[in-house]
Amino acid sequence: MRVVDAARPYAPGLALLVAGALLSRLLAGAVDGLQPLVVAVALGALVGNTVGTPDAAEPGVGVDKLFLETGIVLLGAAVVVEEFLAAGPTVLGLVVVAVGGGLLLAELIARVLFRLDGTTPSLLAAGASICGVSAVVAIGRVLDARGSAITFAAATVLLFDAVTLVAFPLAGEWLGLTGRQFGVWAGVSMFSTGPVAAAGFAYSPEAGQWATVTKLARNSLLGGVAVAYSLAYTARSATEPGVRRLWAEFPKFLLGFLAVAAIANSGVLSAAALESIGRVSDALFTLAFVGLGLSIRVREMRDVGAAAVGAVLVHLLTVSALALAAVRWLL
Amino acid sequence: MASDAAGDEPDAGNARGTGSPLVDRWLALDRGWQALALGLGIVAVHAAAQVAGLL
Repeated sequence: MRVVDAARPYAPGLALLVAGALLSRLLAGAVDGLQPLVVAVALGALVGNTVGTPDAAEPGVGVDKLFLETGIVLLGAAVVVEEFLAAGPTVLGLVVVAVGGGLLLAELIARVLFRLDGTTPSLLAAGASICGVSAVVAIGRVLDARGSAITFAAATVLLFDAVTLVAFPLAGEWLGLTGRQFGVWAGVSMFSTGPVAAAGFAYSPEAGQWATVTKLARNSLLGGVAVAYSLAYTARSATEPGVRRLWAEFPKFLLGFLAVAAIANSGVLSAAALESIGRVSDALFTLAFVGLGLSIRVREMRDVGAAAVGAVLVHLLTVSALALAAVRWLL
Repeated sequence: MASDAAGDEPDAGNARGTGSPLVDRWLALDRGWQALALGLGIVAVHAAAQVAGLL
C-alpha cells in the first residue's frame, strides 16, 4: 500500500502523458508519413501553450526525463555491430568524417557565424550530426542543459526532419542518384532515424536499407560523442577536476545504453525480443516527447529561433553538399 | 551532467521518506541510475519471456 501511496501523486501526470502518446499514435497512424514523435511534441506544445499543465499533473509529467533516458538505454538494442561493419569501410569512413566534422562545423557556425552561446550550439550540433532528437536529449542530459534549451534544439531538429523528409527524395530523383547513393547520402546528412528510413524507403527499397544501415552506424557514435562532450564541458568548468568529479558528472544511463548494445550484439536475445525492446523504446520516447512538448514555450522559441534555424540550415546545406559529392565519387 | 544534476536530486517528499524502504531507496537514486536499472530490467523481462517461449 505504501508503494501505491507513493505513486499516487504521479498518476494524473502519467495519465496525461499516456493519453497524449495514444492520441499521437492514432493521429500518426491515420496520416501517411506523419511521425508519432513529431505529433507527440506538437500535441504537448499545443496543450502547454494553451491550457497549460495542471498543477496536479506536474509530478507525473516530470517523469518524462526518466522515460527519455530509459528509452535511450533501450536504444542500445538497435545498435547492430554487424550492420555497422557490413556497411563497409567507405561508408564507415564517411560516417565518422560526417559526424566528427559535422559536430565541429555546427559548433563553429552556431557560435561564430550566428553568435549562439551556452549549450545550444552543442545541442544543435549533436542533433544535426548524430541522430536528431535522441542525440539532442542525450547530449542535453550529459551537459545538464536547461529544459528550454533542449526543447528548443529538439524543435529545431524536428522542423528540419519534416522538411528533409520531403526534400531529400525529391532532390535524389532530380539528381538521378542510385538507390545506394541516395541511401548513404540521406543516412549521412539527415537528422532523425525515423525520417531517414522513411525517406530512404520512399526512394526505393535498396535506398531504404542503405539509409537505415548508414544511420545506425551514425547512431552508434552517440555514446562516444556523449563521453567526449562530457569531458570537454567538465574540463572547461571544473574547479576540482579529477576522476571523482568526472564520475559524479558522468551520465550513468549511457552505461545502460552500452550494456544493452553489448547484450543485443551477443546474440542471446532473439529477433522478436529485440523488436519488442525497440517497441518499448519507441513507446517511452513517445511518452517522453509529450512531456517535452508540454515544456515548450513558443515565446522562448521565438526569441532565439531565427539564429538556430539559420545555423542548422547552413550546416545541413554544407554537410549534404559535401556528402553528395562524396557518395557520387566513392559509391 | 545528467545524473547528478540538481534536477535529479530527490525532492522534499523523498527526503521525508515514504515509509517504504524500497520506494525510498528508489527515489534516492539519481535519474541516470534509475534509467539504467529500468532499461536493464526491461531487457531482463524480455530475456525471461524468451526463455519461457513467449518471444
